[in-house]
Amino acid sequence: MSLTSLAPRLSNSGPRPSLLTRRRRRVGMVLVVPALVLVGLLILYPICQAVYYSFTNWDGLTTNWVGPSAWSQAFHNPTMWQALRNNAELLLSVPFALAIPLAAAVMLHQRVAGWRLFRSIYFLPTAISWVVIGLVAEHFFAYNGTMNSLLSDIGFSNIHTNMLGQENQALIALGITFIFSMIGTNTMLFLTGLATLDPSLEEAARIDGAGGWRIFRHITLPHLSRFLQLAFVMTVISAFSALFSLIFVMTNGGPGYATTTMEFLVYQTGFNQSQFGTAALYGIILFVITAVVGIVQLRLIGDRDS
Amino acid sequence: MSTLTVSAPKTKRLGRAAIFAAMVALAIVMLYPFAIMVIISFKTNAQYLIGHGVSTQTWQEINANIPVWQELWNSTVVCTLSIFIILVVGIMAGFSFAKLQFRGGNVVFLAIVSAMMVPLQAILIPEFVNIAKTGLTNNYLGAVVVYAALGTPFSIFLFTTYFRRIPDELVEAGIVDGLGYFGVLWRLALPMALPAIATVTVLQFIQIWDDLLVGLLFLQNNNERTITVGLAALAAGHTTSIPLLMAGSLVSAAPAMLVYLVFQRFLVRGLTMGIDR
Repeated sequence: MSLTSLAPRLSNSGPRPSLLTRRRRRVGMVLVVPALVLVGLLILYPICQAVYYSFTNWDGLTTNWVGPSAWSQAFHNPTMWQALRNNAELLLSVPFALAIPLAAAVMLHQRVAGWRLFRSIYFLPTAISWVVIGLVAEHFFAYNGTMNSLLSDIGFSNIHTNMLGQENQALIALGITFIFSMIGTNTMLFLTGLATLDPSLEEAARIDGAGGWRIFRHITLPHLSRFLQLAFVMTVISAFSALFSLIFVMTNGGPGYATTTMEFLVYQTGFNQSQFGTAALYGIILFVITAVVGIVQLRLIGDRDS
Repeated sequence: MSTLTVSAPKTKRLGRAAIFAAMVALAIVMLYPFAIMVIISFKTNAQYLIGHGVSTQTWQEINANIPVWQELWNSTVVCTLSIFIILVVGIMAGFSFAKLQFRGGNVVFLAIVSAMMVPLQAILIPEFVNIAKTGLTNNYLGAVVVYAALGTPFSIFLFTTYFRRIPDELVEAGIVDGLGYFGVLWRLALPMALPAIATVTVLQFIQIWDDLLVGLLFLQNNNERTITVGLAALAAGHTTSIPLLMAGSLVSAAPAMLVYLVFQRFLVRGLTMGIDR
């Protein structure tokens, strides 16, 4: 099923619409008006505004047209490149944010004792705000926090570090927190995928003498490919646009710009520096990046339907 | 029992024990935030700094330091109003796209659904200026309309797929019987969409309850901010005690966790929507 075919036709829409058909269409249009107003005014129209303002030095009150040089200035701004590099480095956490949930889902699928309880536990952090997760993570990585006491417990008391305060380590701590935050959702997704797997396939392979790894590699993994693709896209988009809460409470973008990503740069540039034009420009760049990822997602959904 | 399980019971039992151990290990990691919130919230700030001691003082004084009840109420109001708009707008439009096809409906549907892919940060700046100009940031409605707009595309997508299952003949029969289109929507379509209503409600509740960015910018009055925003604002201040933050975190997390535990299956359905059909 493709998106364009979602709205079906009623049988009697011929070349000459009857009174009933015309009435139906009129009611149809009326029912869509609130949605169109809401989404049009608050999502689609601001995109156009953002494009326009990206060519100005708008500060929220006065607007001066700058033109294309606003964009070339932005591309010469090292802070923006630092933010993009931070985003790129955060993408290194995506494989972990997929592999751990995949392992968790496959283990849950074995239905060992207590698997329902484990499932609930793994999903539970999905319900809590990333603000809360960020606050807990701040304690975990703090100088007198859990990580350092665990390290000294196992004999590494020489590695006593304040990860969130170190320019070369803060992003790693943020990435680890991001991985933790994605585990629930992705496990949920993979478990749904495994539930649709025909158990007789695995059974047949086992009777044929295939070991656990071979069954995973040749039956489970291919079956999950679409779920993996969806989880990949969702995780990448989250890495670009859902980290605001974590960054806000854990590092506020610092130290320096070490944990400032594009989405946080939009906020900082707009609301700390009142450079609304430049902030809108960064927002457009972020939009383009996520749109490219999103189009890949649509392509995948389309593939499934054909 | 197949011969295989009889011939190799020992390795199988070992394998299951290993899986169990790994699952316990992951469970400890996933429960860590909850454990740490409970443990630290039962300390005074001094006890937290020296690393031992238990006290209920933080909990006794939480009301004096965080306007917990006011913020919980604010979160409830914002969630309720936003979800109400998301449901009403989504049900109306979804029914229209699915059953009342009008000219150009497909294009409008595509435009609205593709709005799902716009990250808030991409439109944040003009959105904030627009809403601030209307004065809505000085009351709940500023955040409410933004949440409603952000939640509506998914809601429409879900309701459209749901209403497509209703046979055209049923709709036509309702019209012939004089119910009118609103009658058909209210009496025939809506009862069939109850699971979708539950899914949208649970998903949006958790999303809005947990959100920071919209509340932070679009609720400019401190006495109207949600519990999540209040918590983040408290954390941003420098003199805050960690036990107080952890107690506040628990209070903010409790309602969303309760909703999650009660309505887990609707949440799972919502998150896997679009692939699990």
